[in-house]
Formats: sequence, structure tokens, C-alpha cells
Amino acid sequence: MSLTISELPHKEQALFRAALKLYEARQYKKGLKTCEQILKKVPNHGETLAVKGMFMAHLDRKEEGYETIKRGIEISPKSSISWHIYGIVNRSDQKYTEAIKCYEEALNGDPDNINILRDLASLQSYMRQFDKLIQTRQKLVKLNSVYVPFWLGLANTYHMAGKYDQAIKVISSNEEAMKNEPGIGPTEISELLMYKNWLMELNGDYQQALENLKEIRPKILDVTGWKEQKANLLFKVNRNEAAAMAYQDLIERNPDNKAYITGYLACNGLDITRPSDKDAILEVIHTLQHQFPNSSTLRFMPLTFCDGDDFVKSADVVAKHALRKGIPSLFTSMKLLYADKAKGTALGTLFEGYAVQLRDTKRFSDSADDEATSVQTWCKFYLAQHWDYYGDHERALQLIEDAVKESPDTVELYAVKAKILKHAGDIRGARGTMDYARQMDLKDRYINSKAVKYMLRDNDVDEAEKTMVMFLRNDATNKIQEIFDIQAIWYMRERGNAYRRLGDIGRALKQYHQVQSCFDTYRNDEYDFHSYNLRKVTMRAYVDIMNWEDQVYSHDIYVDSAHSAIDCYLYLHDRKQAGNPFEAIVSDEQKRVTRNGSSKQGQHTLSAGIGETKIAEVDKDPNGSGYVNADSHLAQALKFVEQLESAVGLQPKTHVAAFDVHLRMKKYFLALKSINSLKAIDDSHPSLTPMAVRLVHGLESDNEFAAPMKAALKGQLAKVFGDVTIAGTLSANDQSLPFMLVGASALLDIGGDANLASARAMLAQAASDKYGATRTLDNLLEARDLLAKCGSSDPELSELNKGAQTLFPLATCF
Amino acid sequence: MITIRQARAGDEIGMQECNLTNLPENYQMKYYLYHFATWPALSYVAENEEGRVVGYVLAKMNDDNDAKPPLDGHITSLSVLRSYRRLGLAERLMNQAQRAMVELYGSKKVSLHVRVSNKAAFSLYKNTLKFDVDRTEEKYYADGEDAYEMKKVLDGLYATEMDSLDF
Repeated sequence: MSLTISELPHKEQALFRAALKLYEARQYKKGLKTCEQILKKVPNHGETLAVKGMFMAHLDRKEEGYETIKRGIEISPKSSISWHIYGIVNRSDQKYTEAIKCYEEALNGDPDNINILRDLASLQSYMRQFDKLIQTRQKLVKLNSVYVPFWLGLANTYHMAGKYDQAIKVISSNEEAMKNEPGIGPTEISELLMYKNWLMELNGDYQQALENLKEIRPKILDVTGWKEQKANLLFKVNRNEAAAMAYQDLIERNPDNKAYITGYLACNGLDITRPSDKDAILEVIHTLQHQFPNSSTLRFMPLTFCDGDDFVKSADVVAKHALRKGIPSLFTSMKLLYADKAKGTALGTLFEGYAVQLRDTKRFSDSADDEATSVQTWCKFYLAQHWDYYGDHERALQLIEDAVKESPDTVELYAVKAKILKHAGDIRGARGTMDYARQMDLKDRYINSKAVKYMLRDNDVDEAEKTMVMFLRNDATNKIQEIFDIQAIWYMRERGNAYRRLGDIGRALKQYHQVQSCFDTYRNDEYDFHSYNLRKVTMRAYVDIMNWEDQVYSHDIYVDSAHSAIDCYLYLHDRKQAGNPFEAIVSDEQKRVTRNGSSKQGQHTLSAGIGETKIAEVDKDPNGSGYVNADSHLAQALKFVEQLESAVGLQPKTHVAAFDVHLRMKKYFLALKSINSLKAIDDSHPSLTPMAVRLVHGLESDNEFAAPMKAALKGQLAKVFGDVTIAGTLSANDQSLPFMLVGASALLDIGGDANLASARAMLAQAASDKYGATRTLDNLLEARDLLAKCGSSDPELSELNKGAQTLFPLATCF
Repeated sequence: MITIRQARAGDEIGMQECNLTNLPENYQMKYYLYHFATWPALSYVAENEEGRVVGYVLAKMNDDNDAKPPLDGHITSLSVLRSYRRLGLAERLMNQAQRAMVELYGSKKVSLHVRVSNKAAFSLYKNTLKFDVDRTEEKYYADGEDAYEMKKVLDGLYATEMDSLDF
């Protein structure tokens, strides 16, 4: 029999309310005791059980907590309170889909409960269930039509659902009354008006939006935003001359915003990507340069679209300015231009010319003044990077050594020397040089970070960590936890890669999972903003946050770490299948440290209004044995694959990884789907044929798979690929090392003596001339790893190493 | 070619990475997002030709409970990668952020904190960005170090925009 609160004895009713208050005050232990007190008197009170379960869940007794809540719900299945509680617990565990179900149940019993509706609205926003969200928001407005976040929320939901006209209507009918609401000042009004104007634009009413923009100007505080919108709208209604003036006005505000300059050009009918516009653009840019001589963007821009003499002239201006000022990023800013061979060559000629002029006369040929000696040094600094780009590491090193001799105290020179050594394959030397630079300026974190990265590339995890923690807060007792807390994702990825190279798959996986966890936190961070931004009326920022969150997992550090994690899991799976399971590596210094203390300054937590980010404890399993001993490595890998498919479905690599997992799971139709997806993106991808061949082989060797389906799949493959073989594809692409590597790897997967022998023979020849420029350091290292994987003989390995050494004479890795 | 532009939500990971490689004071993503969600027009980034954030200014308004309008602006964090020095990026970033403070919130002043031991940053703020020490805040940092609170007057730096509505 179920009792509602009102049916509890008087004293217990009071206790129940006290328990709820304790929850709000985060006094979980006291709250738990209060619940137990009620249950002593009324042991089967469903709602009290639910509240008790909530306290337990917050006190690190999760499983018990969930059980207790469920028991409470069984006793009083119609209790809105119990379902609400179940929803809260699910939500705080980030089980949003479950939480939504609970909130919907809770609403059945209490349809007008504002708290429940408000939480549900945040959940539905988070899950992008905009159709359902419209109903929730409408209800909230019905219950309190003047509360700004409610109608603003409704307007935004219409916006997100693409119903711009309805969004505008909601705002129009509320904006007048809004002024008198608490928390609404000029800033909020200005924001709202700009938001509404944007909605008009989205609705396609450009002319109307333009008229509106004029009207609202006196109330607008975001002047930059207003001016940008003015230029944008004028251009959209084809009023190019007026739009050009608006962009000119913006350039005056900020002459280093490239978008303003390209906007200005567009208003003049010019497109920077259209070669025929080149002369006209150059003229416009020169005029602007005259007006804004301090704009480095305007100075640089001609280099991107000019060629021939114009290019050299513009490059000459940029280069001399940078060399005289000693701007270390000069080469980096030129690097993209090297994609155009002629530009790379022209830059080489230009700087070689400078070097000769400076050496012989101390001045540039067009100048009557001697240059400072540092100009010559920075010129060598540039040329070193130039030759490094072309793979001439010896020449690059000679130049940077010369520069170092001239200016032995300049940290930047060593950083570039280290980079050249890295490119040349001398990882140890690179690390030593970078560490030397670090010691020249121990207070500089930038050079410290670089040194840490190079130590990790050199697989020296311990030293890297010691160096990294030098810049962590002194009061952080557990430094590893601190690295996780500050979300140093670059470090996690590099560290994972180091462990992987060292063969410590458990620790590598731990790092990749930490990256995953950081991105999950980034994604979860969004939750609180669904209520926060509506209160602050920062609607344009709110939409921007949601749009960013929608593709947060497409960040390259996530994508890269996910691929590494998948590879690790495949490796673990294959070892297990081969009857040789991998075992986690345990080290002796596995001390368990707990974290305590929090920052007084409060910079690591958040200001009022936004809850603190939940932090997982990272060192429960220091060697990652939990990942190594996972029941199903493929199921783990699949989670990463699914995330990649939804985040970066247009990247070829996504489907190669998906195929590798599906094939091993014997999900042949999904494997075929991956092949087709890859083909749709890039039908000459090196992995394509090997994947088809491997799928056929997988089907043929699986005797449990139903014959008719097998035939159907093979039929589909044959339709697309015909009679392809790996050997055939390789001979058609016999100058490409990437093709050979994928092909050899596929042969190894398929197995059999003949395949093995053929793969080994090919891999041993990876450094041979026919592969030309595809013989990069990374490709050669991969060839070596594959050779090692198939238990290759010494002569084959030494043949490869010898070839690689000839190509990379400075390399220490062969 | 470096572009200076207002920060967007999509820049936050880049800002965090720039901060982590460059500065000892680090923040969780949510703190960056909180800035953006509250004062979306105040923060700026410097982006290189590959779309990487190589510098940023993360700014807010000093909205302590006892603060009365016009509020002072506050620089939470300013960072330019060492390899992008001498381009004047810090000045360009600060210039945009400061103007936004004046225009959106009518700020008369902007403040920031710097570790008393951080000579490089102090000299940047003092000599390049023209901030003056207002006072020393004892044990400001979590590790017990003192901070200089530095201030700069914004009055008269940015003219009020008179936009023509004849378009």
C-alpha cells in the first residue's frame, strides 16, 4: 500500500520536508539520517525511499541508491516526487535519455510543476528534442507568461526548430513589458534586439531586418555586432556601395580582421579566390594599406593571391619588415604558401638573396643603411626552416647552427633546431636541444611545454611528467589528477602515444580514455547554460554554444586519440584471438594519492550561478588494467567508432576504423557499409581494395554465416569491385608507399605463408627509390613496425633500416 | 597572417590549449564558457592562417556584489604564444576588448592581476599596455603568492560612435 506525503504522520511529514531542504543545502549525510528516521516509523514509504536513494547516490553509494529509488517507485508508482528524484539522479549521472523519461512520468502526476518543467526543458534542449521542447516551453509560458527566461526559451526553441517567424512573434509580443522585469537592463535589451534582428535575417527578411537595424540603433550597446550586421545586411540586399562603406568602417575599428577585408572586397565584386580579380584586388589592398599602415593582415594578404613579380614584391615588404623586427613566426606564416611550388621557390630565392647581400654588405640591396646583425641571424633562421620544409635537413642544420653561433642566447633558434632534428628522425637529439632551450628560460611555460612534448616523443614519460608538473599549482597534491582537472588534452594524447610506442597498452588506453572523458565533460558543460543564458539574455552566444557543442567531438585531438584507442583495442583483441593475450604492465611506484584542497582564489571552480564541473578520479587504475582486461575489446572500440561516425563521418579514416571493428565482430553488412561510405568519400583511397579483399576473405572463412547472405554480400562486392586483388592494386599504384603499407598490412591480416612472404618482401623494400617522396619518416617507421609485427627475419629488417638510414642519415630510430 | 576577431564558442578549446601551453594559471573549459555566456563581446582571439588560436584575451566585468555601475572591466587572462611575439598581438587584442568594455558597459577602468614574481608579464602590462599598479593583493594566488592589482583608465580612449542611420 502506498502512502503519499500528506498521509504520513505529522512529525514525519515535517521530517520529510526537512530532508528535501537538506538536499538543497547539499547536506547529504544529515539528509540520509533524516530519511532513516522516517523509515523507522513508516518502513515502506515510497517517496521517503526515493529521497533516501538520492542521498545514497550522492554519497558514493550509487548502486544501492538506484535500488532504493526503484523500490520507492515500485511502492508508489504514481508519485511525482519519486519520479522527479529518479530524474534528478539520472541527470546528475549524465543519463539524459533516462532522465527525460523520469521527468515525463513525474509530469503525469503533477502536470503544472514549474520545477519539473524547467528541468525537463533543459534536458530536452541538451538532447535537441526541439519538437517536444516546444510543448514544454509553451506550458511554462502558460504558467508564468511574464518571466523572461520562459518566453525567451520558447522563442529560442522556435528558432532552433527553424520556425523563425514564430520566434520573432514571441519576442515582439513580450519585449515591451520586459523592461520592467527584474534583472533586465540596457545590456539585456540590447542583446535581445540584436537577437531579434538576427532572427529576421534567418527568416530571409533582409530588407525588413535592415529597417529594424536602423530603428534599434539607439538601444544597441554592442556596437561592433551592430556594425557587422549592418555591413552583412546591406550586402545581402545588394546595396554594395553602402555595404562597402560599412566594411570600411569596420576595418577602421579593427584593420586586422580578415573577414572585414574580404567583405569589403566582395562588396567591390572581387573574390580573392578568383585569379582574374588579382590586379583589381591588389589595387584595392594598396589603397587600404595606405589608410591602415599598421595592419599586418593587409600587408600580408597580397601574398596569398598574387604570383610572379607581384608576389615577390609583396613578399619582400613582409619579409624585410619581419626580419628587422625579429618576428619569429615569419616562416610559419609563409608555410601555407609553399603548397604553391613556384611561391616556395621564389621565397627561397628571395631569402638566399638577402643572405648574400647581408653577408657581403651588411645591408639590403635597396637600402643605404647597415642592418643590425640580428637581421642576418633571423634570415638564417628563416632559411633553415625553408630547407627543412624541403627535407634538406643537413643544410637546414648548418644554417641554424650558424644562427646559433651568432646569437647563442636566443631561445627560438634552439626550438627550431630541435624541430629540424625531429624531422630528420633524431628524436633524442631533438629532445636534448629543446630541453637545453628550456633551461635557458626556466620561467617560460611555452618552452617548457615544448620540452615536455619532445620528451614524450622520445618516450621518456617520467622526465616529461617531472618537467610538466613544474608549472602546475604548488597546492595541487595529486599532480596527475591536476593535469586531468585542467584538461591538458594535448599532454594526454602525447603521453598516450608514448606509452603506446613503449608497448604499454594499458597506460596508453588510460590516456586516450582521459581525452574521451575531457570531451565528455566539454559536452556536459553545456547543460547549465540552457538555463543560464536565458537568464542573462545572451541569446546569440547561447546558440553559438549549442552549435559548437554539436560538433565538439570533431576536434583533432579527440579524433586522433579515438583512432589510437581503437587501434589499441584491435591489438588487444587480435592478441587474445591468437591465444597470446596481452597483460597490463604493473610498475612498482603505484602509490595511491588522494586529492585534497581546493583553490582559495576560486579560479578553478566557477562563479555563482553555474555548478562546478564534475571531476572523475583518475588514478584508481594507474596501469589501465581495467581497459586491458575488458570483457570485449571490440565493444570498447565500437564506442569510439560510433562517436567518430557521428562527429567526423566525412573523414575517410573513420570508415577504415569502422571496417576494422565490424569485420572482427563478423558484422559483414556493416563492414560493407563502411566500404561503401569510404568509396563515396574517396574512391581511390589506398584502403579500399584491401578492405574489399579482406571482407571476401572474412566471409569465406566464416562457416557459421548463412550461405545465402554470404552470396548476397559477395555479389554486392563483386558488382562494385569486380575481380580486384591486393597485388593488382599495388602494381597499379606501385610508386606509393601508403598503398604498399595498407596492402602489406591486409596481407598480414589475411594470413597464409604466401601472403606473409609477399608482405615481408615488400616491406623490406619500403625505402626503395620507386616510392620517391612518399618515403616519409612516418611511413618508414610504420613499415618497420609492420615488419616487426610479422616476426620478420634480421636480414629483412636490416635491409629496411639500411635503406631508411640512407634517406634519413641523422635518424636515430633505424 | 594573423586575424584578430571576437572569440566564439568554437574557439574555447583553442584558447584553453593556448593558455595551457603558455601560462601557469589554467582554467577548466566551463570557466571559458562562463565568460562567453555572460560577456560574449569582451573576449578576442588571434588566429593564424591555419585557424589555430595563437593568442587570446579572456575578459569579464567586475561584477562583485558591492560593485556599482559603471562596472570596471577585468582581464581574466591574456596570452600570446612565445612563437608569435613581436607582432603586437597583445596590444591589438587588448585594444578590442577594452573598447567593448567601454561600449557595452560604460567602463571607466580595466583591471588585472599579475603574480609579483612574473617580471615578463608585469613589464608587458606596465610598459606596453600602460597599466599601473593599484595595490598589492596578499596571497591572491592559490599557492600563496601575492598579486599586483593593476589598473588602466579607459576614459577618453574610445570616442563614442555616431552611426549614421541614413542607409
